[in-house]
Amino acid sequence: MSWTFFKHLWRSQRAKLLIVSVAIFGWSTFLPVIYQSFGSQMKALIDSGVIPKQFTSFGGGDVFSLGGSIALGYIHPISIILVSIFAIGLTTSAVAGERQRGTLEVVLARPLSRRTLYATLFVGVLLFIGIVLAAAIAGTVVGSAASGLLGELAAERLPLLWLNGLLMWGAIAAIGLAASVSFDRLGPAIGVTVAIVVVSYFLEILGSLWPDAQGLQPYSLFHYLAAREVLAGTTDVAGLALLAGVALAAIGWALVEFPRRDLAAPS
Amino acid sequence: MDALTTTALTKRYGHRELPIQRLARRLGRQPSGDVLALDDLSISVTEGEIFGFLGPNGAGKSTMIRLLLGYLHPTAGSATVLGRDIVRDSVEIRRRVGYLPGGIALYDSLTGERLLDYLGELTGRPPTRRAELLDRLEMSARTMRRPVRDYSRGMRQKMGIIQALQHDPELAILDEPTEGLDPLMQRAFYGILDDLREAGRTIFFSSHVLSEVERVCDRVAIVRRGRLVALEDVARLLERRKRNVELRVADGDLPRLEGVPGVSAIARTADGRLTCQLEGDVGPFLAALAGHSIVDLTIEPAHLEEAFLELYEDTEPDDGEPATAAASAGETGEAGEAVA
Repeated sequence: MSWTFFKHLWRSQRAKLLIVSVAIFGWSTFLPVIYQSFGSQMKALIDSGVIPKQFTSFGGGDVFSLGGSIALGYIHPISIILVSIFAIGLTTSAVAGERQRGTLEVVLARPLSRRTLYATLFVGVLLFIGIVLAAAIAGTVVGSAASGLLGELAAERLPLLWLNGLLMWGAIAAIGLAASVSFDRLGPAIGVTVAIVVVSYFLEILGSLWPDAQGLQPYSLFHYLAAREVLAGTTDVAGLALLAGVALAAIGWALVEFPRRDLAAPS
Repeated sequence: MDALTTTALTKRYGHRELPIQRLARRLGRQPSGDVLALDDLSISVTEGEIFGFLGPNGAGKSTMIRLLLGYLHPTAGSATVLGRDIVRDSVEIRRRVGYLPGGIALYDSLTGERLLDYLGELTGRPPTRRAELLDRLEMSARTMRRPVRDYSRGMRQKMGIIQALQHDPELAILDEPTEGLDPLMQRAFYGILDDLREAGRTIFFSSHVLSEVERVCDRVAIVRRGRLVALEDVARLLERRKRNVELRVADGDLPRLEGVPGVSAIARTADGRLTCQLEGDVGPFLAALAGHSIVDLTIEPAHLEEAFLELYEDTEPDDGEPATAAASAGETGEAGEAVA
């Protein structure tokens, strides 16, 4: 860990971190309100048979329960995009982007090993994701309180929900950083990471909407972001372990590959 | 003591192939596409000297620098910088070295001051020379408070020089340091190098501006296609150069220079002028002129540029094969004959 490098990372990201945290806080506040306002009407609509049953769940989330609406908030493209600003955007640009711009040259000319650089980046990204997820949980609590639903919220399980989110996004961030240290240009690093995330997301959503495709869901990282189950007290520990395993595999790859690579002059 | 030593340092760039690509290439009997960027390079740079590392684009200069600083891993051979192994002790080496990359890129959003603070903190040594460098390179306090994105190319280059030297490194590795500097700033930079030399610092200087290398360097190594073709004192290299001579006599009585040591390519013109080439000691040549009424005599000074071009011409037929006796000069740090 390099404290100087970490401070630089913090300074360069703090404005973005503030904006993303405020945005996800607002989004998370909104979902309990939707559940409270429209949940019963939506349920009645589904029960009437106008909308097919398979569309009642989107990636494990719905608007018929507080847990379902919180889960919907986590799997919704809005929160995926917000957290991806750090988990994909920052990780891929942190090494491959700086290589392409040529700024990594002046940093690596200092007494800073590549592993130290990587470790500092990973800890920094994990911290930023942790802050964003904490803002999301804070938004959930505020939204639930504002809607008079605080009694329904299993507050003691919120830290586990935060950990679940951190593990899932940590795994994606580790994949992003592994891609970043493996390429000299930003394009391929972003391409590989986004492809993994999009395919993973597609498998989870497809499985949630189409019963015949449910068998594909375990192959998706998003399948293990199980907010509803965590809040219901039925946490899948094996799923959390799997997320940690994916993250560790990506970290291992980066720690072996990055120091071993030749860093040719940026073109 | 040597500040930098390389022993048969070799770097081959190979692109990674997937097994299917490798199979396809072998079936098609195509070459691997590997590039030998540095081949068996052996030099040593003595502490306190300014060492020029010359070669045209693609000769292997940047590869050499990147190997020394741990950006690249050698394919074969070894090297030490300030007594430390470039592979095992790369971090420690970078603590004691200042590096100016060619075509440096900086963090545009930071102010000049903040950028130098950040890079100085990363180095972990106090920026003892910063104030002096800012002053000599005319970077005012007001300029330093502006974001780097507002800087001109020359100002960015000056920032590059300052970040490389601000912590007073024992060895400075400078890749094309005067690129983008105006003549006044180039002169200021040469003054800084002179002071560093006086302070016992070592400078490894890569450039293709031969006039500046001639002006500032004590010794030069010339590389071509990754191979060393010359390693010599600048003064000795110039001494051995043939200089063009032209003289005119008053009465048409041109001196006989045939057989005079160091004189060659003698030519006489109808208008009473004589041209020739002179190499080495001028004493015998001047002695041969004694007694003749010389009206005009011009001896052009030798320049590194001509030596450089001559070396390249000498080795030009070589198309990828090792120059003869390349190793003999390449394997020593002593001033030796040009190779090839």
